[in-house]
Amino acid sequence: MQADTASAMPPEIVCAGLSKSFPGGLRVLPPLDLTLTGGQTTALVGPSGCGKSTLLRLIAGLEAPDTGRVTIGGESPATMQKRGAISMAFQDPSLLPWRTVRGNLALALKLAHQPADPGAVDRMIALVGLAGFEDARPAALSGGMRQRAAVARAMVTRPRLLLLDEPFGAVDELTRRQLAFDLPRLWETRGTTTLLVTHSVAEAVLLADRVLVLSPRPARVVADIPVTLPHPRRPAITQEAAFHDLADGIFSALMAGAGQVPAQTAP
Amino acid sequence: MTRADRLGGGRFRAGITAGVGLLILLLLWEVLARALSGQFLLAAPAEVLSWLNAQRGLMTRALIQTLANAAAGFLAGNLVAIALAGIAFVWPRTERPVTGLALLIFCLPLVATGPILRVLLGPGNGPQIWLAALAVYYTTLIPLLVGLRAAPASWLDLVRSHGRGRWAELIHIRARAALPYLFAGLQIAAPAAFLGAMVGEFTGAERGMGVLTIRFIRAMDVPAIWALASVAAAVSILAYASIGWLARAVLTEPPPVILAPPRAARARRWSGLRQMLMTGGLALLLWWAAMQALDLNRFFAKRPGDVFDALFLAPDAGAMRATLGSALLETAVYLLPGYLAGLALGAGLAALIVLVPPLAALAMPLAVALRSVPIVTTAPLIVLALGRGAAGTTALVAVMVFFPTFVACLHGLRQAPGQIMDVFDSHAAGRLSRLIHVRIPAMLPAFFAAARVSVPAAILAVTVVEWLATGRGIGSLMALSASISDYDMLWASVVVVAVLSVLCHAGVAALERRVLRRYAPEQEEP
Ligand SMILES: Nc1ncnc2c1ncn2[C@@H]1O[C@H](COP(=O)(O)OP(=O)(O)OP(=O)(O)O)[C@@H](O)[C@H]1O
Ligand SMILES: [Mg+2]
Repeated sequence: MQADTASAMPPEIVCAGLSKSFPGGLRVLPPLDLTLTGGQTTALVGPSGCGKSTLLRLIAGLEAPDTGRVTIGGESPATMQKRGAISMAFQDPSLLPWRTVRGNLALALKLAHQPADPGAVDRMIALVGLAGFEDARPAALSGGMRQRAAVARAMVTRPRLLLLDEPFGAVDELTRRQLAFDLPRLWETRGTTTLLVTHSVAEAVLLADRVLVLSPRPARVVADIPVTLPHPRRPAITQEAAFHDLADGIFSALMAGAGQVPAQTAP
Repeated sequence: MTRADRLGGGRFRAGITAGVGLLILLLLWEVLARALSGQFLLAAPAEVLSWLNAQRGLMTRALIQTLANAAAGFLAGNLVAIALAGIAFVWPRTERPVTGLALLIFCLPLVATGPILRVLLGPGNGPQIWLAALAVYYTTLIPLLVGLRAAPASWLDLVRSHGRGRWAELIHIRARAALPYLFAGLQIAAPAAFLGAMVGEFTGAERGMGVLTIRFIRAMDVPAIWALASVAAAVSILAYASIGWLARAVLTEPPPVILAPPRAARARRWSGLRQMLMTGGLALLLWWAAMQALDLNRFFAKRPGDVFDALFLAPDAGAMRATLGSALLETAVYLLPGYLAGLALGAGLAALIVLVPPLAALAMPLAVALRSVPIVTTAPLIVLALGRGAAGTTALVAVMVFFPTFVACLHGLRQAPGQIMDVFDSHAAGRLSRLIHVRIPAMLPAFFAAARVSVPAAILAVTVVEWLATGRGIGSLMALSASISDYDMLWASVVVVAVLSVLCHAGVAALERRVLRRYAPEQEEP
């Protein structure tokens, strides 16, 4: 099908004049213009409560903007949803407690109208380091394990657009670095456009091609920092000077966005 | 107590405590019976067993008959409940009228609906099955409605993020998330169906436990009454336990506490009243339409207009109102103190008992078991013990209210979220301070849910005991009217009792909203 070949290009995300307030006059997003290059991984960092999750939900089509619009590869979020092209891993893992890890992934496939694929499910579970826990129920997993299961569920449908809301907040540093090494390779081969929210500057640098720093609510983009480190990024990369320069730059931007004086960079 | 203790503790241990509780109960019973021997009050367990052995055949036939009717009513009532919950969920606009009407019908006094159904349906098992269905559908409908809305928003977001709609939500998320609530409702329904079938048998059935109850009460056959009560209790407890067992086999999550949260107070001032009036109007319309459509004889199938005439326009309307009024007053005098005492005792004892955890472990299974003992068999017993006066009736109402309140409150007290309890543990806070700051606020919704459901239960209890034993009040008036075919009076008392129950229920719900808003705002429905 022609449409398919066209959409096989990693989709570009365009937010044009996007704004959102909540009842009670809480303005979360001012009109916001943003373009995410197809196939790239973008990290959003910003203070708690600034509107990161809200932006993700708008892009996923779970929330309607007050003004402006979102397009994903030229289509509306609703259209892309129906094609099973969007997946989101939510801030709280929200796995269904009555389904096993395997069952949770299988349901995602079913919801996305995709054929059952036990092999792909198990490979995905293994990729996030949960091999051996395929038949465990969420209650029997640790917080970090649940988060990884949620990421696996979001990825098993091979979405064109992957939205990850603080996916590894409760994951230990070592596993996190391993995932930061494994997951982007998969996104690259699949042509996934990824938008990820994180509170960890190091995680942003490890995973992303580009980091957007947001100000406190209402969220503006105060810095747009390209991450030029080559992929794949081995865990040892955190010892390189380029890594630390980037991390310092992001941190200064966060402080500046919050109206504080940027810290002196170490000599 | 560690968190793990609170969560699990082991089914085996629970079984043992339940067994110990039962043993203690039997012992107490035997001791008491010996102490009271010669007063024709209490038959000892041994006496009951020998009676049962002698009357095996009679008892088995009656039991099978009642069980069959109860099962049919249980099935029908619950299917209707599931259908109604589905309708209310799919068309949210119908939810208020559906739940309002359901409550009104649930508040119809079985003692009077029984005889009316008997004349409408004629001989056979019809009224027994109908009453069993009427006794169960409401307690399934409400938890189910809560359960269908119990899924957290992020589960639904998952469905929507894949572009799927309400159907996928219902099938993949809500139906399954509601399952624990359905089971909890079914568990309460099982003993209730048995009770409903027995009340149905009071109205001139040929066979069944209800028929035997009436016969033995007339004859004051003490061992027989106790044997009936024991069998009915055992059957009810078994039904309750086996549905609990089934739920544990099917479900992976712990059972929920059924709260049926009151609706958010977003409504405008008068919308509650308007809703009530609309529901009332709808009920009258349905009543009239049903009677017309079935073309039933006006002599026993009264229409709304007939009842209005009898109450306000007929020459003897004044006398009728006076009779009704004095009967109601007589009932209220016993009902209110019993209701309040039952609530206070249930909540108070539950609060006390969590201060002594080993006691709670013992009391819980006992109370759960005793809650399912059918009122129709305990009524004669309590009256036997306390006499036909105020004490007996009031005690009976209190008992009827006590058990559900106690069980709900104990559930609620234990509900206190694990993490919050951990915070208190980490500050080494004492049991009392935890009780006051965490557990009682967590208990309030459960308490009020019990208080609401107890309104019709208390009315059922008081009318049954008035009918079976004391011969006064509205229950007796209804029984008398049925026996002398005074259908004007019978229908009028049904209407008045149902309306009063609904009003009391609404009053409790209003109080609940005010209290919860102040003391436990996070417990209100979002
Ligand atoms: N459904 C809602 N109704 C009202 N206010 C909301 C709603 N959702 C979010 N908000 C408000 O919008 C603001 C932004 O919320 P959002 O969840 O987007 O923050 P966030 O940047 O993801 O924060 P965090 O890093 O803590 O997850 C917050 O102040 C929050 O209170
Ligand atoms: Mg967030």
